[in-house]
Amino acid sequence: MIQVFPAASRSSMDIGWLKTHRSFSFGDYFDEANTEFGVMRVCNDDDVAPGRGFGPHPHSDMEIVTIVLSGAIKHEDSLGHVAVTTASGVQRMSAGTGVIHAEYNASETEPLSLMQLWFMPAERGLAPSFENVTYVADAMHNALLPVVTPEGGEHAAKIHQDLSIYLSKLESGKQLTYRQEGERRVFLMVFSGKLSVNGHVLGEKDALRITAEPVIDLSAVDHAHFMLIDLL
Amino acid sequence: MKETFLVKHAVGGRSFIDTGKHPLPYTWQQNGDQWIFTVQIEKSATAELLKWKDELNVFIFQEFENEPTRKLWFYVLQGPVRYEEESKQLVIVAQSKIEYIPDLFSTQL
Repeated sequence: MIQVFPAASRSSMDIGWLKTHRSFSFGDYFDEANTEFGVMRVCNDDDVAPGRGFGPHPHSDMEIVTIVLSGAIKHEDSLGHVAVTTASGVQRMSAGTGVIHAEYNASETEPLSLMQLWFMPAERGLAPSFENVTYVADAMHNALLPVVTPEGGEHAAKIHQDLSIYLSKLESGKQLTYRQEGERRVFLMVFSGKLSVNGHVLGEKDALRITAEPVIDLSAVDHAHFMLIDLL
Repeated sequence: MKETFLVKHAVGGRSFIDTGKHPLPYTWQQNGDQWIFTVQIEKSATAELLKWKDELNVFIFQEFENEPTRKLWFYVLQGPVRYEEESKQLVIVAQSKIEYIPDLFSTQL
């Protein structure tokens, strides 16, 4: 089954320093029917003004992945981590038994654009941890590049859940095929360009929630930068 | 010192209890390595909180006249989180705590 979620179907909020578009229930937007897709709970598309950000706040029992699309984000947490992540970078924070963190646009002049994704961990009560990795941007050209996996690696963050996040930049006319196993799910969002997925044409920030489709054919209609998440 | 008790949904921050906006009688105390909160509240007002009882952020905010606000955040792992019909009390048991002062957070790392 393939469900299409156009970009405009997301809940949006603009409070000046933050412009956010939320794929799932979050903050003042609550829809009982839209609180999760498998273990995925949050997909926020945030634009943060220079020098602004989210002050200290707690998290627990959540795997939080931040993908920077442009600009740079500064992360600080109660474990003592201070890190700046730029485009070509991914942060993973396992909140586990609890962590306080703050996150800000690291620049006083440039805007920050990011995707923040929250997933339920495979188990509660994990020791909190944080990781900041840089992937090889060229490796996502016409390929699905894993940037978050259960195993992790030099250029991929390790997540405590059975899921993988891939990024790709597919040139116009190029095609890829993703094979989905059993009853697993795929969440797919186009960041820019235009992508055809099993005949559904997606534009910027359009998304799909796919369940039990053994073959997913991806074809770039117009240079497509997108994210594919294979999850439970 | 002004104290506020808050219970929020950990996913997205929806507020279930905020004694600063809607005062309710409550108590909290440490008992060994646990913290026990009791709130006098009507059962009907706890339905949403209990639905998400595995995903709660429990806070005590302490505001002072001449010091920055201190926030205490409590982690609820196995709880329990339950409503006691006889006493009309919501009981939340937390397993750990982190204290932080937002105004000084960066300098304390």
